[in-house]
Amino acid sequence: MVTTANNILVFKTNIQTKFDQILIEDLLNSVDAIDKWNIDQHDIDCVLRIISDTLTPDQIISIINHLGFECSELE
Amino acid sequence: MRTRNAGKELLVKDEAVKMLVADGFQDFSMNRLAKACGISVATLYIYYKDKDDLIKKIGVDIGIKYFSETLKDFSPGMSFKEGLRKQWENRARFAMECTEEVACYEVIRHSPHGDHILKESLKGFQAAMHGFFQNAIKKKELAPVSLEVFWSVAYGPLYTLLRFHSEGKSIGGAPFKLSKKAMDEAFRLVIKALAK
Repeated sequence: MVTTANNILVFKTNIQTKFDQILIEDLLNSVDAIDKWNIDQHDIDCVLRIISDTLTPDQIISIINHLGFECSELE
Repeated sequence: MRTRNAGKELLVKDEAVKMLVADGFQDFSMNRLAKACGISVATLYIYYKDKDDLIKKIGVDIGIKYFSETLKDFSPGMSFKEGLRKQWENRARFAMECTEEVACYEVIRHSPHGDHILKESLKGFQAAMHGFFQNAIKKKELAPVSLEVFWSVAYGPLYTLLRFHSEGKSIGGAPFKLSKKAMDEAFRLVIKALAK
């Protein structure tokens, strides 16, 4: 898969701790439409970065909200 | 829609180098960098996965540039004197022309990413420098010494002079600017010490 600016989605979240990360990683790893993901917990916005050709920002937000975390598109 | 823009990527790199030199590794943040570049944090995350990814990529870029500049017009098969002279010229040129990048490389090299950056950027360079050292001993142009002793005698004086030059002063705070004459003089002494 070629990484372009168009298939990288970035979000502001409150996924702050290692434990929080463990809670989301099983689900994110199991979604086939997500090619790669990482979270920058050093950043004040705990930026979640997702590479996907098919998912929309709203779908990601809904997945993360479903797990009990805040998530909004980073402007 | 956000797009990847080569001009913006260069701007990000330049600003990141400046910021790392001014504030060091610990105080560096993606948010502050985005502000300094006048771009959104989201755009920054299009280019880099996170702060660590950005710092590693910048470090490897500088390292590769430094080592390729150092190998310019140089070959491991050169005579010892000619090859070492070329090394002095190339290393001095890079240190004097790319002061900001050299300072940034030092900051990153002493961060937790130092080992990764050395490993990635040294590829090829180490082989060339080691070959040069081995050839010089084989051709009996260089007295057989350990690599560490060779390095400290061969380049120690150059890096000391370059440090004086970058600080603008030498021992006791006397003003100093590196001249060709001083470099030639030091080089002559180094050759005298090492050549067989």
